[in-house]
Amino acid sequence: MRIVDRLSRAPWIWSWLAAFLVWFATIMVTGGASTLGLSQAALTFAAFSIIVGIGQMFVITLGPGNIDLSIPATMTLAGTVALKLMNVDNAMILPGLATAILIGIGIGLSNYALIKALRIPPIIATLSMSFIIQSAAIWTNRGLRIKPPNFLADFTTSTTLGVPNVSLVALVISVAAWFLLEKTVYGRWISAIGQSMPAARMAGVPVDGTRFVTYVLSAVLASLAGYLLACFSGGAALNMGTEYLLMSIAVVVLGGTAVAGGDSNVPGIWGASLFMFLVVSMLNTYGLGAGIRLIMTGLIIISVIMLAGGRQPGAR
Amino acid sequence: MTFRKMLLASAVVLCAAMPNSASADTSDKKIALSNNYAGNSWRQAMLTSWAKVTGEAVKTGVVAAADAFTTAENQATEQAAQIQNMILQGYDAIVLNAASPTALNGAVKEACDAGIIVVSFDGVVSEPCAWRIAVNFKEMGRSEVEYLAKKLPEGGNLLEIRGLAGVFVDDEISAGIHEGVKQFPQFKIVGSVHGDWAQDVAQKAVAGILPSLPEIVGVVTQGGDGYGAAQAFAAANRPMPIIIMGNREDELKWWKEQKDANGYETMSVSIAPGVSTLAFWVAQQILDGKEVKKDLVVPFLRIDQDNLEENLANTQAGGVANVEYSQADAIKVIESAE
Repeated sequence: MRIVDRLSRAPWIWSWLAAFLVWFATIMVTGGASTLGLSQAALTFAAFSIIVGIGQMFVITLGPGNIDLSIPATMTLAGTVALKLMNVDNAMILPGLATAILIGIGIGLSNYALIKALRIPPIIATLSMSFIIQSAAIWTNRGLRIKPPNFLADFTTSTTLGVPNVSLVALVISVAAWFLLEKTVYGRWISAIGQSMPAARMAGVPVDGTRFVTYVLSAVLASLAGYLLACFSGGAALNMGTEYLLMSIAVVVLGGTAVAGGDSNVPGIWGASLFMFLVVSMLNTYGLGAGIRLIMTGLIIISVIMLAGGRQPGAR
Repeated sequence: MTFRKMLLASAVVLCAAMPNSASADTSDKKIALSNNYAGNSWRQAMLTSWAKVTGEAVKTGVVAAADAFTTAENQATEQAAQIQNMILQGYDAIVLNAASPTALNGAVKEACDAGIIVVSFDGVVSEPCAWRIAVNFKEMGRSEVEYLAKKLPEGGNLLEIRGLAGVFVDDEISAGIHEGVKQFPQFKIVGSVHGDWAQDVAQKAVAGILPSLPEIVGVVTQGGDGYGAAQAFAAANRPMPIIIMGNREDELKWWKEQKDANGYETMSVSIAPGVSTLAFWVAQQILDGKEVKKDLVVPFLRIDQDNLEENLANTQAGGVANVEYSQADAIKVIESAE
């Protein structure tokens, strides 16, 4: 009983429960025959949401008003530039990856420069930044699709012991994020800032430095996700990041991270990302029309948030 | 008949009343392109074609200017403001790819009232004073099923990949596909997903529904989604069905690879982004004093097994198979509508 009680208080449990229910309802349509295929597809596509979701989670944890809306454009620019640089050459994989990360660092820097130096609220600063980035992506390659190097294309689309490689990458990043959040002083700092910025400042937390690092981290994770997604789907496209704007925020909220900041959690991102993919698959599998599908998606998400939001105050 | 004569007469009076235009010469006319979106390869190719063809036309003195403007947000309100600016800037004609078939009607009417020719294409507007260069999307969808019926006389299960939910083009193509299935009842659509005309979205949606589907013999698509579908089938280790392609270079290249490896056969159909240049020439012809029907139809660009190599060679790496239209093509389209 105590285990059940403790589990029901964990904010991430609801997204996992929802993901499991939807997964089960989907495989039952074929009497279980689709189990392996569906699970692999879910892990693969959830991986990208997980990577950008973790970046967004760190930013949201900083407290009210903190959000990164430049994630989709960052993914597009990083994917486009990296693939153009690699130009189907296996030897250029590492320089390509380094370029993608450098682009992320640059965007994170610019984002925080706008927020801090010009005192623009993050929601506007990152949104206007995303216009600049998107235009840069259009300008670099005019929407032309260049194939990824063979090694990367194989790596991102294949599995190791039945587990998709991209989800293993997401796992490594998640463990690192969990460690950063729970075991380092940096993690304590962002939670402290999210709970009360003035109090954190009084307590001697380097507020500006911490916020700066967090925005850079979010942009770097977005560019990494863009790099992987471009390789996975056979080339970068100008609109490839679009759906990750709402997705990155949705998985954070569904995963049980407090929207008001100061309280984050990594396992919830996994449950929420799997759930977001599975719910669309389930409704597709049941063959419902587009209108009903969108309404159902909305209703299901609202119910999960309501359940997850019903936790007791003070319980972490 | 008399009505038409009256129209003609009033047009003549109007022309006579306006200085410079009575000679029916367009060398001093300015044409603007109002475009609502530039964020995908099709739109980029559309703008490139426009720049290429109109650049030449301006250089040779056919028209005085042909400037392209794109709105940042793909919003009807923003585009309406853009059109109002164009009216103030004194353009003689506006070529329009509209964000909405109805929301721009007010701005379009204002332009018409100011004596400006408005030619809409691809995303057409319903305002009666504007010209429309539309694609018969229904027929495009129907022709896909017809092709499959020829290839697979005994029929089977189909997977439908749709476009962006709620958009006119998506409804039209899908209605055509369902009409085709009614016409060839040996086919049955067992699954339908929205691929948003984007390769990665299509791949994700197909990967999600595929494990629960029976054997699929054909995939009917709307363009931009064929390669993603192929990747999802390959990843799931399913037998490769006939996937109708949409003229994107990655789709054609994949088709060519499969054709060389195992004789894979399919077809590819979409509208060429160069349709913007057709709209340009139609606007020029109207300015020139030609009488043009308000509703014109562009042929779609279809690629088959035997002209695949030729079309692939002409398509820019990562782009869309394209044709740019000439003044003569526009005259042909105008005359065929008579």
